[in-house]
Amino acid sequence: MKLSLARLTATQKSGLAVALLGLVAAFAGSPYRGPVYTVDAQELARVVETTVDHVTAEDVADWIIQGRTDFRLIDLRTEGEFAEYHIPGAERVPLTALAGYGLQKNETIVIYSDGGIHSAQAWFLLTTQGYKGATMLFGGLEAWKDNVLFPRPAENPTPAQSVQFAKMKEVSKFFGGTPQMDSTAAVTAPSFTMPKLETPQGGAAARGTSPVKKKKEGC
Amino acid sequence: MQADVQPLTAEQVGAHTHHAVPRAPQPYTNPYLAGFGLGLVLLASFVIMGRGLGASGAFSSLVAFGADAVAPEHTRANAFYAEYLGDHTRHPLMDWLVFEVVGVFAGGFLSGILAGRVRMGIERGPSTTNRMRLMYAFAGGGLMGIGAKFARGCTSGQAMTGGALLNVGSWAFMMCVFAGAYAVAYFVRRQWQ
Amino acid sequence: MNAPFFKFGLFGDNVSLIVAFLIGIGFGFFLERAGFGSARKLTAQFYLTDLTVFKVMFTAIITAMLGLFYLGWMGLVDLSLVYLTPTHLVPQIVGGFLLGAGFVVGGYCPGTACVAASTGKMDALINLLGIILGIVVFGELFPWVEGFYYATPMGQVTLPQLLNLSYGLVVFLVALMAIGAFAGATWVEKRMAARKGGQPS
Repeated sequence: MKLSLARLTATQKSGLAVALLGLVAAFAGSPYRGPVYTVDAQELARVVETTVDHVTAEDVADWIIQGRTDFRLIDLRTEGEFAEYHIPGAERVPLTALAGYGLQKNETIVIYSDGGIHSAQAWFLLTTQGYKGATMLFGGLEAWKDNVLFPRPAENPTPAQSVQFAKMKEVSKFFGGTPQMDSTAAVTAPSFTMPKLETPQGGAAARGTSPVKKKKEGC
Repeated sequence: MQADVQPLTAEQVGAHTHHAVPRAPQPYTNPYLAGFGLGLVLLASFVIMGRGLGASGAFSSLVAFGADAVAPEHTRANAFYAEYLGDHTRHPLMDWLVFEVVGVFAGGFLSGILAGRVRMGIERGPSTTNRMRLMYAFAGGGLMGIGAKFARGCTSGQAMTGGALLNVGSWAFMMCVFAGAYAVAYFVRRQWQ
Repeated sequence: MNAPFFKFGLFGDNVSLIVAFLIGIGFGFFLERAGFGSARKLTAQFYLTDLTVFKVMFTAIITAMLGLFYLGWMGLVDLSLVYLTPTHLVPQIVGGFLLGAGFVVGGYCPGTACVAASTGKMDALINLLGIILGIVVFGELFPWVEGFYYATPMGQVTLPQLLNLSYGLVVFLVALMAIGAFAGATWVEKRMAARKGGQPS
């Protein structure tokens, strides 16, 4: 066969190149390989040390009140616990299902459980997989109860602390909590009544149908 | 011409002839080369942003913004507009596609001016009037606006972007765009004759 | 390399808008270079006298498709993070027919109308006003057409998934199909030119 490459036009050569690239592609395997993530232990340790991996309960409360939708709130507890109470807007995802849950690698993901251990494990899991925005609720749901639902004033409040407490009382009421007036009684007080899950109704499904939505990515 | 009695410098002569004899528009780039350039821009968008190109979405943001300014209650109750208004933490026009389309205007103008193709006017065939041509352009635009919204994108956002991603809906859409255009072409041929 | 860069948090929303503007410039530039600032050139596609639209569009698709395939295959781009518009088959088919009809009536598609308007075409400016009116009509009628808009959802689905073929094989088939169609398009253009006595319309 006397097919000379030199006799082909530039267009024909490009066409040939495309056909070859396509042919190789047909046998090359899957393109869904994605980058390989390397875990830098030093960097992780630094992040933990400086607590930039944390977000406080007050901050999350502020975000929810502002109606922000640019973060995901992930509850790691059991279904029963979740049904009893969860932070409005939270999505229940067990630790084992986290990797395949469809979180985006660039979005802020706030993880919480009762205390800190489970969320720390989940945070590590997500971080090593390249989820840059993974962060833990500082102190977990306990901190949410102490600081947001049932805040109590400091013992000898400074003016700044008083202003802060006045604000937290409003925040607490927004989430159906009961601010504590006595700064010491809370230690021995019987269990608080948790707010009912009526408004704002939580869960991913409720979020999806709410009129306020995150902008879509396509046209 | 005859008014120019004073001697001109070389530069002035250049400027003069530039005005008197409009530069002939340069021929268009080879379609495969232009397509390759377009493909690289699309690929850059995939790699840098993780999304493709678009056009009609920017106009949806514009419409949603306008509607929100005129009748906020009405607009926010509408699920279609709400999607383009976002969660109100950002201005609706601080949007990726809006900025991209502003870039399209700039890039088109840049290419046009470099090739001597920027010219005010209405493009039409000799046997039609300007008025007729503008009516066709307006009606066609209206059809496209509705079509692009049902399809969730236009030739840029669906056909090209989704085509390269082997998106099922985009390929179905692309076939139908060509089918729809060929079906109607005969009836509007007068515009160009 | 961790790409798509934006989805790995290499830069934030504000920088992404600058990126959008720059990418838009590239997009507009090559559209105009191809001749897509001219309605006559664009619609010639549908009278078979000049198949540039088809050639440019498919060359762009093939370029981006092959580039993305190989970048993904080499592990440089996480393909699962590239946004795929969910498919709603029937509304998209209807939308395609409407957009195609609007394209040939109006002379432009939305992206090319921007380019044409930026190079001084008044008909393109009017075309853009038409598009805006169309979107307003759609938006106002949305509560009534919402059911149809969300009909036949198929989720985020690609041709390889639908046909149960490997991604690479579909890439190969699309590339082959395009090359064949390019040859066919050139042949059609020659036939049409011959029929008109060598005079391009």
